[in-house]
This record gives sequence, structure tokens and C-alpha cells, in this order.
Amino acid sequence: MELNLNVLRLASGLAAHATARQTVISQNIANADTPGYHARDITDFASAVDGAGMAFSARVTRPGHIPFGPGATGHDIRETSALGTETPNGNTVALEDQVMRAAQVKQSHDMALGVYQKSMDILRMSLGRR
Amino acid sequence: MNEMMKTMESAASGMRAQGARMRLSSENIANVDTPGYRRKTVTFEETFNSTRDARAVKTGSVNLDLSELPRVYEPSNPMAGADGYYLGSNVDLMIEIADAREANRSYEANLKMFDQARQMASSLLNLLRR
Repeated sequence: MELNLNVLRLASGLAAHATARQTVISQNIANADTPGYHARDITDFASAVDGAGMAFSARVTRPGHIPFGPGATGHDIRETSALGTETPNGNTVALEDQVMRAAQVKQSHDMALGVYQKSMDILRMSLGRR
Repeated sequence: MNEMMKTMESAASGMRAQGARMRLSSENIANVDTPGYRRKTVTFEETFNSTRDARAVKTGSVNLDLSELPRVYEPSNPMAGADGYYLGSNVDLMIEIADAREANRSYEANLKMFDQARQMASSLLNLLRR
């Protein structure tokens, strides 16, 4: 019997992406008043899915090697600064913008966990359990 | 889960920094009528904790505002010199209150991030519960 668990893999990938993005956003908010700090964000999940395997990644010859580079996690961090958000001290974090992004993160994380849970429910049901 | 802890660490460092800023602001406000008092300011710096791979914020050194102290004419004051003037404090209540308000706002944003990371972690753990 072959299980097609792509849905589960996709859902856990989306959850991991949301978690990584949440970390970056919380760093931005912690540094909301740090002079010279530039707001950052990670590339969106769609490009991480499309670019999986295509992106640069270090060659691994042994299973113990630790992957690095943008391809290692499927997303990379880049600076995002909307026009006109820079304050006189060089900081480009707009709190409203960051809170908005955090709400998106929460939504996609909830969606990922919901899809995961439902898929598991379907698997369980097909096994005859409730 | 480690990513979630990093998120919470960043948010907690933000709260700590904003709390220190708020404390200095209240010290300044308390000393608004102290003769010869110079207002204290603190800088924010981005830090990188390499052992835990977490970016956070920390407060730098506390500096004194070296702008000129205002001369107050009050001959009956024990601090007054022969010409009847004494040096007041260079605290401006308007600036301090605006600063405290901004610190409050940033603190709340950090708290919201912390809470969101906590919710995401607990909903992730809920998946294990069935």
C-alpha cells in the first residue's frame, strides 16, 4: 500500500515556513526602535515550493553534514522596506505593517495545522477508527 | 519548537529593552524639579546571540543629556547664587511623556508577538494530543 502523503508534507512545510517568518517578524518588532535597523522578511511560501531543489545548496556527501545556504531551508531572509517608512534615525520598521504580517503568519500556521489535522482524521477514518 | 523559543526570546528582549527605557523616562519625570539634574537617555542596539542563533535587542549605555541647564531666577532658593539664579533640570515633560508613550506602544507590540508565538506552539502541541 502506497500512501500519498504529499498533503502532510506540504502542510508541515507551510507550518515551518510560518514559524520561521514569525521569528523574523518578532525580531523586527523587538528592534522597532533600534537606530539604523532595517526591517526584514523571508521569501514567501509559494517561491519556496517552486524553488525546492532548484535553489543553490551545499553539496552533501555524508548524511551527517549540516545543510546551509538559501536552499537548505527553502527560504532566505531579505530586507523589505516600504517606501516612506524610514524614520530620521534610519529605522525602517513600521509596527502596523509588522503586525499585519504577523496576522498573516498566524492565519497560515492555523491553516497548515488544520489541513494536517484533517488529513490525519481522514487516514484514521480509513483505518476504521474514530 | 526551537524556532518558537527564538521568537519568544526576541520578543522578551524587546520587552526588557522597552521596560528599561520606560524606567529611565520615569526617573527623568520624577526628577523634573531637581536642581542640576540632567535627563538620562539610553540607546538600543541589535545583538546576535550566536550560541542560540537568535537576534535580539539590548540597551546600550545610559548617557546624560549634556544640553545646557536652564537658569531659574529664585533668590529665596538655598541653591541660588549671589545673582539669584540657580541651575534647574533639563527634563522636558512633553518629551518624556511622548517617549514613555512610544515605549508603551512598542512593549505592547512585543507582548502581542510573544503571545502569538505561545499560541502557535500550543496549537502545534495540540496535534499530538489525539
